[in-house]
Amino acid sequence: MKNQTLRTLAQIAVATSLATASIAATAAQTNTDGNVVVKAGKVITLTGETIENGTIVIEGGRVTAVGKDIKYPWDAEVKEFPNAVAFPGFVEGLSNNGMDRANENIDVAAFLNVKDSIDPVSFYFEDALRAGITTINVQQGKDCVVGGRGYVVRPHGLTVERMTLRPDSGIVISAVPKRGKTRATQALALRQAFGGLRMYLEELVQEKKDGKDYATREALYQGREPDKDSVKGRPMGGNSWKVENLQMVPRWEIDEKQLPMLEVVEGKVPVYLYCDEPADVHTALKLANDNGFAKRTVLVLGPECWKAADLIAKSAMPVILTGSMKWTERDPVTGEETETFVPGVYAEKGIVFALQSGNSSAESLWYQAALCIGQGMSREAAMAAVTTIPAKIMGLEKRIGTIAPGSDGNVVIFSGDPLSVTSHVVKVFLDGNEVYDRATDTRMKHLSTGAQPANTASSAELIEEVHKHDDPVVEEEEKIDAGENKKDKDKGEHEEGDGHDHDDDKDGHHEGDGHDHDGDKQGN
Amino acid sequence: MLFTVLSLALGSGGLAAMPVPAEATTVFADRIYTAAGDVIENGMVVITDGKISAIGVAPNGERKEGELHVAAITPGMVDLSSRNTNMQTVEETTEVSAQYHVADSLDLFDRSWGRQLKSGVTTVVANPYDNNCIGGFSIALKTGGEPSLEARTVKADVALRGSFGSQPSGKNHPARRRPTDFYSRRPTTRMGVEWVWRKSMYDALYAEGNKDRAFDGVEQLLAALNGEVPVFAQAWATQDIRTAVFLKEEMAKEGKTKMRLIIDAGAEAWRELDFLTRTGTAVVLPPFASDGRTFDNAFYARDCAAKLHGAGVPIALSAHNDSSPGHSLGDQAAFARSGGLSFDAALEAVTISPARIMGIDRRVGSIEVGKDGDLVLWNGTPFELTSSVVGVVLEGELVVDPR
Amino acid sequence: MMFNTILAAFLAVSAGLTATPQPGTPSGSEGVKAGVSPASKAVSDAAAFTAFKAKIVYLGNGTSLENGVVLVQDGIIVKVGKDLEIPAGAGIVDHDGALSAGLIALHSNDGAGGELNDTTRTVMPDAEARFAFDPKHPELREALEAGITSIVLCPSSSRLIGGQTAVVKTSGGVIVKPNAQLSLGLSSAALSYNEFPTSYSGALGELNAQFSDPKGAVSRAVAGSLPVLMDVNDRAETMRAIAFAKKYKLRGAMYGSYWAEDVVVAIKESGFDVICTPFDVGDNQRGARSVAALAAAGVRIGFGLDSPARHPASLRFGAAMCVRQGLAADSARKALTGDAADIVGAGNRIGKIARGSDADIVLWSGDPVALSSSIKAVYIEGKQVFGGSK
Repeated sequence: MKNQTLRTLAQIAVATSLATASIAATAAQTNTDGNVVVKAGKVITLTGETIENGTIVIEGGRVTAVGKDIKYPWDAEVKEFPNAVAFPGFVEGLSNNGMDRANENIDVAAFLNVKDSIDPVSFYFEDALRAGITTINVQQGKDCVVGGRGYVVRPHGLTVERMTLRPDSGIVISAVPKRGKTRATQALALRQAFGGLRMYLEELVQEKKDGKDYATREALYQGREPDKDSVKGRPMGGNSWKVENLQMVPRWEIDEKQLPMLEVVEGKVPVYLYCDEPADVHTALKLANDNGFAKRTVLVLGPECWKAADLIAKSAMPVILTGSMKWTERDPVTGEETETFVPGVYAEKGIVFALQSGNSSAESLWYQAALCIGQGMSREAAMAAVTTIPAKIMGLEKRIGTIAPGSDGNVVIFSGDPLSVTSHVVKVFLDGNEVYDRATDTRMKHLSTGAQPANTASSAELIEEVHKHDDPVVEEEEKIDAGENKKDKDKGEHEEGDGHDHDDDKDGHHEGDGHDHDGDKQGN
Repeated sequence: MLFTVLSLALGSGGLAAMPVPAEATTVFADRIYTAAGDVIENGMVVITDGKISAIGVAPNGERKEGELHVAAITPGMVDLSSRNTNMQTVEETTEVSAQYHVADSLDLFDRSWGRQLKSGVTTVVANPYDNNCIGGFSIALKTGGEPSLEARTVKADVALRGSFGSQPSGKNHPARRRPTDFYSRRPTTRMGVEWVWRKSMYDALYAEGNKDRAFDGVEQLLAALNGEVPVFAQAWATQDIRTAVFLKEEMAKEGKTKMRLIIDAGAEAWRELDFLTRTGTAVVLPPFASDGRTFDNAFYARDCAAKLHGAGVPIALSAHNDSSPGHSLGDQAAFARSGGLSFDAALEAVTISPARIMGIDRRVGSIEVGKDGDLVLWNGTPFELTSSVVGVVLEGELVVDPR
Repeated sequence: MMFNTILAAFLAVSAGLTATPQPGTPSGSEGVKAGVSPASKAVSDAAAFTAFKAKIVYLGNGTSLENGVVLVQDGIIVKVGKDLEIPAGAGIVDHDGALSAGLIALHSNDGAGGELNDTTRTVMPDAEARFAFDPKHPELREALEAGITSIVLCPSSSRLIGGQTAVVKTSGGVIVKPNAQLSLGLSSAALSYNEFPTSYSGALGELNAQFSDPKGAVSRAVAGSLPVLMDVNDRAETMRAIAFAKKYKLRGAMYGSYWAEDVVVAIKESGFDVICTPFDVGDNQRGARSVAALAAAGVRIGFGLDSPARHPASLRFGAAMCVRQGLAADSARKALTGDAADIVGAGNRIGKIARGSDADIVLWSGDPVALSSSIKAVYIEGKQVFGGSK
């Protein structure tokens, strides 16, 4: 009852503030309460229906209703896009971007967490919004044996906490040989990681049994029975191998470097298992089966892994496809070149796959899905691979990937078909709040038309400005400056600064410069 | 012969359904984009002896077994900057090598030609590698067919190729090693590059009436100055585009008013619309760059093609020898559309416009009776990433079969 | 050392220049034979006949004679046949095996050291390889022991126009043909990274300049009296060379066969002979397949050697590898002897077991293109130069 009242009050407050805003005719990007009604010429819900002239009602950050001619509160803020398309947004099933350094060099780094690496102001997140991506599963790179835990985030927010959709979204294990290592070394390191965990746990239990642990000894010293309360661990939940009597050990006594590994073995966390080559797939599958996390495994595959498609199909694991979609191979004997459309192979084998964005911001999820359609895949399958399937892989299918009652209030407004090259993202709502508006995206304007945002100037102009007020005495320094900026678009001011008196120096400097330059080129 | 007559009738009047000939390559499509002003719904193209012999509306009735029917047909695409030539295609021992021909150095067995063909590019202009100020003569040729110049040439010596910017000077340095190599040479700066260009042009001017001053390459330079062949110059950045245009205007003042200029890889051409329109200069654009950053620090705005087209500058798009999905010439047309270029203009920018720019439009660039039977077959609307090239017809031969 | 090279180059050029003013007189084999070889001829007994009998005689033209007799007088073959009447007093070599003409290694450097590559200039058509020839060089002995009785010395293919090739014998210092071919470098070997030409366009530009205003040996090539030897490697270079030759109506041979199977029709149409790229054991099969394809298309072929970089024995091994890839054994034997001689215009004197030819003879334990065969004896101009008992 009390809550309801508060809510009503809040709505009134919003309505008032909105009224003020519209009078002031400023940007309407003011609401942060997650309440909005979006109307669009077309609503792609991805639940099976596409609604012409549809309405989406978002309350408290969640979609409460979607349909045609549906009722919504009289005082709701309504955003209308009669000529545009509303879309749930693309879902990045796994990304190594948005972090300040994605790789960890320690072999077993399961105790690390990407939340400490995520850089909320990274351009990557900004570009993701522009491309209509609303959810990103940020995971560590493959330069480890067992990597840290990932985070599922929204590409908006100034802190990781504000961005987070699901913390500890999974752990990364790599079957790809680390740089400078062989495949055998990698396989050994993987076995050792889990063998080491087992030995550690067994030792821990044995110590408990022997009464060697601190709590037991303390109790014995005091002449009383060991504290029954300290023995509150659970039996181990693994399904391939188990350490008996693990319940003797309280969970908090398990080393924090080993606990995430234990959770992997117990099948409690999703595992993202990297494979670059077909040979890695076998290693990966064996590891997952031997250590009980096969059912929680998502394979992250390089392009060539299509050759192991039968093996993957048998494992029934979902996959995330990275890298090029075309695998080109030249027969070393005949010289014949063959091309394989990689996602097509997985589709044919009935493997559940999600697509990943390419390396550049241009090769975003829409681009990957569009290329799949161009190569003959059905529109539904291609679209699912960048929305509902990655959502399902993360276990977030009820919240993201679709526009349906109960789902997160994420709506991307496209100017047209989300997969058309001529469409662009007009606005993005995350949890019912407007977080992106193309009209005010100065960087986009610069990319599109070359227009410079206000209050900025090119570096050359700034240097010029500084030099105008320079004391003639500092001519010497100025000259060096001009030399260093030789590659920039000089405006001639520097040349004037280089008085003829200093000709000798100048020549010397330029020769030196030429030397360095040449050295660079020689390396190429 | 019958079909020729029929299609002539098409030009003047409406489109009538026509019979399907038995002995010829015939392709049907839901839509045929001719790049000659027409879009034909439910159309067909007939190619006889390598040339297009008829275009029109397909006869009604059921499709026959084995009939070649696709969603869309466009003309074979034309890429003026094929970029599959290596360092061994330009004579670097001299910074001006106008007397040499890139045709002498092409490897027609290289796989890149076939890849371009497969991506729908049927005609390219191959240029000398841009390490010289004036590199030599370019050639227009087909990307498939018998691997001989005789069979593939569309037009020999189609342009005099050169380069502005940092590339021609990039490797040069002052003499300091023992023994010195030939990179101990001019130019080492942009100024130097311009100087070499201007000097060679003036040298040619002076030699025109004076045989004593003749030098290697003078005839070729004069051919360019007199407008017999265009000057096709790489210039990515603003200052290089301006340099090229100023040079042309300077030569016009010297009486060489017929000199023609085509800018290649003009990423920053959008900054210089006035200069380009003033001098009637055509621009070949480089491939799309998502962050706008290209060679020579040039900023390639996404609406570059649209702006140039809007200002009346003839444009052509290029994939710079990338034929992979998402990067091929058809995809470049798609990206130009995302920058605001209309569908029709995008179609022209990869077909008839480059053909006109290089003066090879009598043979290629559009689907018209009498032109080469080069077609690209699509599985959907062209110039969308959701469509791709599924078939290619080269001079009547189905070199990539969509079936 | 450097001085020597320069001096040799200077001598080669000046000698070449003095030799040119007489292009009208065909530099025929007779003249040279008379001029250069009498010293070696004088050693042999002028009156004596020698009769070579063998189980099988390979004639060098693709055919053979079982139980044949080759009658030699004064170093020249005077009669070949079955059941020949052997003159009284003639020496008799009765061989229980095969007999063939001495093998001919095209494109070789034996006995010329590093004297065939003048790095100071890339165009020197009037240089002649014969002046680089050291007839006493120990490398020649190895060639001889591999059954090779004649080699073709070629100016380096890293020059655009390297000079003229020479046909010489591996014993006795005989120069069979001094101006056999004009060597043209049309492969990437002729391109440099720091000297002209760096590009094919530059190379072709220079060649066009030389051939459109021909002088000296180039004019003889354009007139058709001097065949050309065009060095090519890949398919593009082959096609480029064919087009170039067609433009100036040149005739002769191309050196380089690795990629030939893809362009065999064009090569056949060009009328050019092909000197096959030497083989190494373990080479990709394409090289051998290409040779088989050329022979099947009716292109005349011979085998290159590039010794001393390769051991002379690899000449015969290469032919055997080709036989394994489908080259007819007859064609292989012909390519090693008669056709090789015809390619360099010396077929009237070497490469064949025929009346009037030099008695350059190899006695084999079996078929020369079977790797199990070994060499029993080698004769040059009737004189035994290798073999057990002399």
